Amino acid sequence: MSGHHISSAKFLWTIGAALFVLTVITVAVTWIHIPGPWNVVVAILVALIKATIVALFFMNLYWDDKFNLLLLFLSVAFFILMIGITLLDTLFRDDPVPAF
Amino acid sequence: MSDHSAAADPKTAHIQHHFVDSDQQFDSAKLGMWIFLVTEILFFGGLFAAYIVYRAWYPDLYLQASTELNTFWGAVNTAVLIGSSLTVAMAIRSAQLNQIKGLIYNLYITIGLAFVFMVIKFFEYTHKFEKGIFPGEYYTYEGIAHEKANIFFSIYYMMTGVHGLHVTIGIGLMIWLVVKAKKGVFHSGYYTPVEITGLYWHLVDIIWIFLFPLLYLID
Repeated sequence: MSGHHISSAKFLWTIGAALFVLTVITVAVTWIHIPGPWNVVVAILVALIKATIVALFFMNLYWDDKFNLLLLFLSVAFFILMIGITLLDTLFRDDPVPAF
Repeated sequence: MSDHSAAADPKTAHIQHHFVDSDQQFDSAKLGMWIFLVTEILFFGGLFAAYIVYRAWYPDLYLQASTELNTFWGAVNTAVLIGSSLTVAMAIRSAQLNQIKGLIYNLYITIGLAFVFMVIKFFEYTHKFEKGIFPGEYYTYEGIAHEKANIFFSIYYMMTGVHGLHVTIGIGLMIWLVVKAKKGVFHSGYYTPVEITGLYWHLVDIIWIFLFPLLYLID
């Protein structure tokens, strides 16, 4: 347990710069028009990398009590469960939406 | 066990009687915040679920409708929020090092960036309102050749609106932190509210990291 990790200013700026570069990349990727579902995959992948960097090094989960990291994993797991079960219904309907 | 007779000492005045020591109090507060963030993730998760379900049903709609969103301003807002996450992290660092002036300056910059985000969002919204792009049944815009065009914008307004509400609440929390910091409440031994508001702010940033490509960058 070390909830008091102090990052150096240089380290924090590096993380900020990395996030900025990844933002530029995620925009630049749309200019080369990746076909099919892969453009979504790439966009989500870059967003996941960015979110992981923020969670580990800005929210200090890398140094923090691992129980907090477990909580984050659980929330993501239950989110995937919610999406998965919902899609099992909505993807296999004959008539998509009744009213709207 | 902490020595309760030393409660008058300003360095330990923040410790409440039901905690063993300052560290236990700090870790408990952080744990509580993480549990709250879990509910936040699942709360936004419902909106992301709606997004995914409708995108699976109407993939063409998303391709057409997202052209109404300005990628440039979306990207600027992403950079603004990343910058504000950086300044919040710097604010926490300042508090940890007992640099209260640095803490206040970094909070000011964060508040400023949050306002920039909301102002850009305001102009994005009003630009759409002028065209008649309203959510749900109030949608009157003719520019998108898709009968379900209003659905994309209902999802857009709901997701960005609730996110914007979180940014606004964040601004309020930062102002509260500045007031407390100016009163000299925070020092290297006690900066829990700064740390916890920082966690909240980073989560708001993470939500936007996903909203930006999912709404603006569909080509």
